[in-house]
Amino acid sequence: MNSLNEAVQDVQAGDLAPRVARIGLVVGVVGLLVGAGFGLTGDAHAKQHFWFAWLVAFAYVLTIGMGTLFFSMIQHLVNAHWSVTVRRLAEITMANLPAICLLGLPLLVPLLDGHGTLWKWAGGGHHGEEAAHGAEVPGGESGAAAEAVEPAAQADPLGVQLAEEEHHEFVEHKRPFLNSGFFIARLIGYFLIWALMARFFFRGSVAQDSASDAAPTLRMKKWSAPAIIVFALTLSFAAFDLLMSLDETWFSTIFGVYIFAGSFVACFAWLVVCAKFLQSRGVMKNAVTREHYHDLGKFMFAFVFFWGYIAFSQFMLIWYANIPEETHWYANRITPAWINWSWLLLIGHFLIPFPGLLSRHVKRRTGVLLFWAIYMLVMHWVDLYWIVMPNLDPQHVNFGVVDVALTLGMVGILVFLTARRASGQALLPVNDPLLPQSLGFKNA
Amino acid sequence: MEERKLHSVMAEFTDVNSLMAAAERVRDAGFRKWDCHTPFPVHGLDDAMGVKMTRLPWIVLAMGLTGCGLGLLLQWWTNAYDYPYIISGKPVWAIPANIPITFEVTVLFSAFTAFFAMWIMNDLPRWFSPLSRKKNFARATDDRFFVVIEAADPQFDGVRTAEFLNGLGAASVEEVEMPDEPTRLPARYRHLLFTLAMAMLVPLAMIYNAQHKTSTEPRVHLVKDMDKQARFRPQGETLAGLFADGRMSRPRIEGTVGRGMLREDEGLETGMEGGEYVTAVPSALQVDEDFVRRGQERFGIYCAPCHGFTGKGDGLVHQRALQLAAEGNAQWVQPTDLSSALVVDQADGRLYETIRMGRNTMPAYASAIPVEDRWAIVLYVRALQRAAAQ
Repeated sequence: MNSLNEAVQDVQAGDLAPRVARIGLVVGVVGLLVGAGFGLTGDAHAKQHFWFAWLVAFAYVLTIGMGTLFFSMIQHLVNAHWSVTVRRLAEITMANLPAICLLGLPLLVPLLDGHGTLWKWAGGGHHGEEAAHGAEVPGGESGAAAEAVEPAAQADPLGVQLAEEEHHEFVEHKRPFLNSGFFIARLIGYFLIWALMARFFFRGSVAQDSASDAAPTLRMKKWSAPAIIVFALTLSFAAFDLLMSLDETWFSTIFGVYIFAGSFVACFAWLVVCAKFLQSRGVMKNAVTREHYHDLGKFMFAFVFFWGYIAFSQFMLIWYANIPEETHWYANRITPAWINWSWLLLIGHFLIPFPGLLSRHVKRRTGVLLFWAIYMLVMHWVDLYWIVMPNLDPQHVNFGVVDVALTLGMVGILVFLTARRASGQALLPVNDPLLPQSLGFKNA
Repeated sequence: MEERKLHSVMAEFTDVNSLMAAAERVRDAGFRKWDCHTPFPVHGLDDAMGVKMTRLPWIVLAMGLTGCGLGLLLQWWTNAYDYPYIISGKPVWAIPANIPITFEVTVLFSAFTAFFAMWIMNDLPRWFSPLSRKKNFARATDDRFFVVIEAADPQFDGVRTAEFLNGLGAASVEEVEMPDEPTRLPARYRHLLFTLAMAMLVPLAMIYNAQHKTSTEPRVHLVKDMDKQARFRPQGETLAGLFADGRMSRPRIEGTVGRGMLREDEGLETGMEGGEYVTAVPSALQVDEDFVRRGQERFGIYCAPCHGFTGKGDGLVHQRALQLAAEGNAQWVQPTDLSSALVVDQADGRLYETIRMGRNTMPAYASAIPVEDRWAIVLYVRALQRAAAQ
């Protein structure tokens, strides 16, 4: 039990936590202010871009938080031994979910402004007219009898936008679900459920630190199964609401799984970055070993592939069926403006990290693994940007200061929240019944 | 005992910790042909034994890539090269459609390679081991741990090795003799296996034979599916009939008309009135823009594949047929140019009749296109002709 005594010695972040929190807060506030300064002072188009960028940044920190929540729950569910040493890092991150959710509340402004600034379906009266990509045009018809095509067709060179009346029909059909009142009610519902789950699993884990028996762990184990079912449903529907409904005519039942896959990759990358950072500052030096990094790497690799599998499943069915109301979502992402970003996603999020993370040696060299973790965190952002931004303007990639500033700002806030919670808090579940097994864990 | 050759020396341990300690000592002593036997996987034993990292992953990677390439090659060969065939309007070699099979073949090759290469590298299947002669050794599957140093090891020296193992804290050390009997499979089993292998070639030979001769026999129908099923044909054999009169269906009762079968307006139905083709769309139909649009849409579905969207007789079927004809695989007459003088001069009723009954190589479309739509198409063909004349 020597390793146990060694491991629990340096599990407090000490004065490191307040320093990191301060940096996080400064980056967060400056980032959000710069984003707001550039975004909200410009013209109508800049303002609209600002809200899309806010959604990307919010989805980014939210998916990291949700990934860590799922990670904590699944470890309890399967009674995992290996992960105990890194579980507290995930728990400290997920415990910030209530605060992260608050960052989503400003999105109510573009929701309720009556112009459909962010979610077009929320625009009052006639939908879509204020939309950035101009008027919808009738589908391309050929032949001598076809009437002269309106000049607005240049907004739709691929001829994939739905005819106005068809579009209207689709949206009216969804109106009972996609209306501002129900949307806000659902959003609050998700946020409350996630906050409740994060609170329960964080408090349970902390209570175990000073408990005399394994009761808190057993209670978390018992509730992890139903909680994961609720998690799956809420995350799926939140993905439908926040991201998929940006294009209110489009639907993909696998979309929630897609978001989950990216979120879980980001979770492992986040854990690797956190653990490496703490160890480089002398914290948790004896707790997290090469074996734990190896396992984090394995999961990151597995879910990079899972992401690719799900992304391709979504794409292939739509590509093969070739039905206009489904294909236009992809058509908007293979426009001359967005095609390079799509390639970046395919190659950068899948084809490069797959062989990159394949080898055992990569996963066991923690420095190299750290590189891939940071890389995947960037790619996860590229993924979310690709999901959100073509809905604003399929013909232009307006990547700029606002996008970077808002994302850095929210990540800064996430770092601030995480570091603040980490101060005065053991970074290892020091009294977890499975901790000795986790410390002694070795990959075969 | 001394006459027999030794196979190995076997040391028995009662707990994992002493086994681990012993394994480390054996490793450090420089033995190479030796092994540990435990009732359950022991984490860290690989290190304690000094087992080198397996090469298996590289073999799996190589075979996985081979499978990936072969999967793609198979689909490219069959779909794009040997028998190019357009499916769902996709390119003949459509990568996205090939990904699932490529993925499956990659997984198949990788999994089989991992499984069988693991067997081969571990000398499996092993029919017999001299260790199984030792009564104690059965407890390797229960509650005992064994270290076995084989006589084949260059450092092996019967008595001294046994003493060495004794010094490691073994509960007992035993010498394992080489068995008297040959370890080969008995001859009668070998003959049986050979006969079976030969018998398995028979179906292959029959298939090969069948592929290289012509036969007047109908093909063997192993799975009948729906090709041969018991059913009544509407105008079927009278003797096996469903009804007393031997028919399968009832004749129309005299003086009645089936639903939707009343054809009063001769010109509308047949395009002819009193033996003459009608020269305009029958007045029963309301001709407006929607009607022409309907004609355009139906034309795009039923006519354009051969006649082309502009009616010039250059549809996709025609283009494909030209390719095949150029390779000597088809005979083809170009579909009629609908804006040629021949068609322009034809009466509306004549165009209608062509759609309804077919003409020359064009089949009848009466079963596919309802009456109103046929007239709508006639009207659209006129629109195309007018456009072509401009």
